[in-house]
Amino acid sequence: MEKSSSPACEWAPLRKVWEFADDRLGLNEWIAFGRKKTVPQHGHTFWYYFGGISMFFFLVQVTTGILLLLYYRPGPEAYDSVRQITYDIEFGWLIRSAHSWSANLMVLAVFVHMFSVFFMKAFRKPREFGWWTGLGLLGVTMVFGFSGYLLPMDELAYFATKVGLEIPGSIPIVGSFAADLARGGPTVDGNTVQRFFTLHVVILPIVFGALLGVHLFLVQRHGNAVPPSEEAKPVAERASIPFFPDFLLKDLAMWLVALNLLAILVSLFPWPLGPQADPLTPAPAGIHPEWYFMSQFQLLKVLGNWFPGTVGEILGIGLFSLGGLIWAVIPLLDRSEENKAMARLGTRIGLVFLGALIVLTVWGYMVV
Amino acid sequence: MTMNETNGPGSTESQEPQDSGAEPLKEASGSQCDCVARRAAMAAGVGVFGAGYAGAIGYPVYRYLSTPVRRAASAAAVTEVSLPEAASMEPGTATMFMFGTRTAILIRHEDEHYTAFDATCTHLGCTVKYEPENKRIFCACHGGVYDPETGDALAGPPPKGLTVYRVENRDGEIVVARM
Amino acid sequence: MNYPVWDVPILGSGLVIALIAVFHVMISHFAVGGGLYLPMAEARALKTGRDDWLEFLPKHSKFFLILTGVYGAVSGVGIWFSIGLAAPEATSTLIHNFVFGWAIEWVFFAVELSSAAVYYYTWNRISPKAHLRVGWVYAGASLMTLVIINGILAFMLTPGNAWLAVAGTGQEASRFFQAFFNPTYWPSLFLRVLVCVSLAGVWALVTGSLIDGNKQPELKTDVVRWSVRWLIPSFFLMPLCFLWYIAMVPESRMSLVELGIATIGTGTFSQVTRTVLISVMASATILAVAYLAAYRNPRDFGLGYACAILFLALAATGATEQAREMLRKPYVVGDHMYSNALRKTPVTIDGKKTSEIEKFNSEGYLSETIWASDAERDAWRVADDRSGPKLVLVSDSDSGKAEKPRTPPGAEVLRRGELMFRGQCMACHTMDGYRSMRKLMHGRDAGAIHNILGMLHENAEDSPYRAFMPPLVGTDAEIEALVEYLDREVND
Repeated sequence: MEKSSSPACEWAPLRKVWEFADDRLGLNEWIAFGRKKTVPQHGHTFWYYFGGISMFFFLVQVTTGILLLLYYRPGPEAYDSVRQITYDIEFGWLIRSAHSWSANLMVLAVFVHMFSVFFMKAFRKPREFGWWTGLGLLGVTMVFGFSGYLLPMDELAYFATKVGLEIPGSIPIVGSFAADLARGGPTVDGNTVQRFFTLHVVILPIVFGALLGVHLFLVQRHGNAVPPSEEAKPVAERASIPFFPDFLLKDLAMWLVALNLLAILVSLFPWPLGPQADPLTPAPAGIHPEWYFMSQFQLLKVLGNWFPGTVGEILGIGLFSLGGLIWAVIPLLDRSEENKAMARLGTRIGLVFLGALIVLTVWGYMVV
Repeated sequence: MTMNETNGPGSTESQEPQDSGAEPLKEASGSQCDCVARRAAMAAGVGVFGAGYAGAIGYPVYRYLSTPVRRAASAAAVTEVSLPEAASMEPGTATMFMFGTRTAILIRHEDEHYTAFDATCTHLGCTVKYEPENKRIFCACHGGVYDPETGDALAGPPPKGLTVYRVENRDGEIVVARM
Repeated sequence: MNYPVWDVPILGSGLVIALIAVFHVMISHFAVGGGLYLPMAEARALKTGRDDWLEFLPKHSKFFLILTGVYGAVSGVGIWFSIGLAAPEATSTLIHNFVFGWAIEWVFFAVELSSAAVYYYTWNRISPKAHLRVGWVYAGASLMTLVIINGILAFMLTPGNAWLAVAGTGQEASRFFQAFFNPTYWPSLFLRVLVCVSLAGVWALVTGSLIDGNKQPELKTDVVRWSVRWLIPSFFLMPLCFLWYIAMVPESRMSLVELGIATIGTGTFSQVTRTVLISVMASATILAVAYLAAYRNPRDFGLGYACAILFLALAATGATEQAREMLRKPYVVGDHMYSNALRKTPVTIDGKKTSEIEKFNSEGYLSETIWASDAERDAWRVADDRSGPKLVLVSDSDSGKAEKPRTPPGAEVLRRGELMFRGQCMACHTMDGYRSMRKLMHGRDAGAIHNILGMLHENAEDSPYRAFMPPLVGTDAEIEALVEYLDREVND
């Protein structure tokens, strides 16, 4: 490798350290690899950054989560320990607020990432497994959110979890059994917190890490997909930039923007802690699950009103399953731009899903 | 990890934007020395910027992590402890109490005068206890024995005596203070 | 209190001003900075013979004209509208002092708006030299509007001792120039000019991002890089001006920031400090992001990145303006008038200096209100004479409550309480939304509400609330009525 590619070529001691590490780790090879690797450059490249932004928020989650673990105590003391973190430990409010806000921003970024991948048709061959691992990551992210929401055991968390478990609970036959298993009993209590805690800090991180590893490996293997509009151009007209350092530095710029957004939300709108959950008090009005479960919640509620009893429940769960199934098999249906009718259908399905998600969510918030 | 690449399209073009991106600072600069100065200024800028962010993130995290340490330090800075219940102790008994962060022992002797010591055995850190029948302070871990009047090590492995606290009677209120 | 109260549910009237004002600041500062950008860019293009720039600049000036001439102008009027409704007393005070200043400013506005239109519509129609001259006329006029409005904005934070000495006497306008060139005038002017220059670069990046990098790579590279350079002066000079500004802010105002620094660990009283920190962080980050996202790869710089940079600029501007506004707490005119229009400095009435606070405490806050009928006011007076002063203190209320059950307050008491709430609280608080009273008072029973209101009424030297809330004024019976009103709103 020529000398100019090592970042520390000017100052002798630093160069020595670099050479020492390079000899043993092959750093220059990695840099050369990164320089050779390219990322397409076109009108829609901005959407490429949402995968990176999702990962940035995930890293924030890992860091702040570990910090919260230092003072958080699951079980009967859960609320008290979160109260201590929020009001007693210095900057505990900041760490907790960062964890909560970043969780929400991560879910949002993952959704944007998913839909941008969908509309750029980046799930087509050979990237089907990227799509499926991505769906898996979305699922794990949502369970992360659901389990984490209960951990403070304040009033909202308690009732939102109670209400939220109605979604799996409404599945006929196995539903109530599954919900009981998730709660560790017929009601949300200390057992539930302990279970959700284990799920949140042990099981989900392992699953997420494994899925993320595969997902990133696939991205590396197949490179970034280009949207059909770009694919239509002759190869000579397509532009690209090197992954290292150009794309990475742009990624860094987007991370800085994300960090600033997070800092504003975290410090100017600190995440609140409600009063301690008390199973004996009636639920406050307008209890609902977090926004990313709102569409499912609302759909169940509406179908339950229209078709009372088991019919509505089966219908709701059936619709979910059907939607999820279509969403998962879309790479097998919409396979190439040559099949124009299928490609158009795929895009329309995406628009319908996105529209339904937004309408149901907004509707849900309007009626609570 | 495989190093093969499948994203061939466009890589022929990739050289051009890389050049414009990798050396953005050279285009306006005339001489070599000017470029070096600008590189140094750039490095300084990046350093200050990075340090700013590291500080903005690191400081709250440090304070978060060290809160219990600071709480303990301020508790350890306690110079005296008031023990209202001590006035009603039976003669010939002892009571354990916290002196800041340290466990301490207060003994009311038969002649009704008080002595107080740090209750951590100087040998390996077990908590000592008062034995009125033997008129001694005893550590059950390795059999260390201390004098209940002076705190001196009398027998067993302890290398030195217990830390002695001063006991004052302020208008019927027992106050234990550092010597 | 004899003005109507602008009741904006959820948002609160203050936040409406803030939203309009931040929007306006983003555009109005661009109007000034862009006034420099356009003729400088045009002169540069003419000198270097860059015809492609002369194609780009009309597009940018169209964007500029629409943004400043329509959205800037309309939001500016929006500020007048909202401040007149939300803080009529303060607006009146400003007009009485600065009516002449505003008259001059409007002259410059007229010049500014017409020259902007002339500048856009005469591209390629008059000689380049004359066109450039129109650009400079615009630049001068728009800078002058900032020079003038800055005096009035800075005045609200630091009216200066010369003006405060005559405040409330009716002679305030005699100190026009001292009030105008008040302690924070110059640092504030420099800070704002720097912001203008930065925003000129940021907004130019928005139009620059729309140039097709594949068709005009050279133009795009040049426009984007030249625009990013507009962010550099602020990056280096802003910290200095910021320190200068802080140095000119009086000790009493800075106490709020100091309180914030002392309590930021537990996060209790640190809203202002946090806002200042966000403002510093976002301002410092803009240049880095602009360099990484725009300067390094201008060809790939699309609208998405431009919006990300615009977002950072909005965050920095919004946080800075918000911090400046909050730094003024608890006043709307520093050391003279509290946020809820209560005057701190004595007012001369019939040749006699009277403190509004003492007057309201002894005669009653609602004694002259036109929002009650004569009969109501008479009834309240009689009721107060009968009950006498009875501001029960902390321990009393606890023991008293257990023995005799509280009688439910009558409709009149609640009405008085509501008038107190509207007059003294609603300038900053809402019942359910921004700074929600229901949330702030949550978990407090009548005794506890009484205690916190008592603390605000007392306004003792060592009260942490003194730094950012006005004293609560009124007779004991009036404050008791407010307690009853809040208790019913919060706990029923």
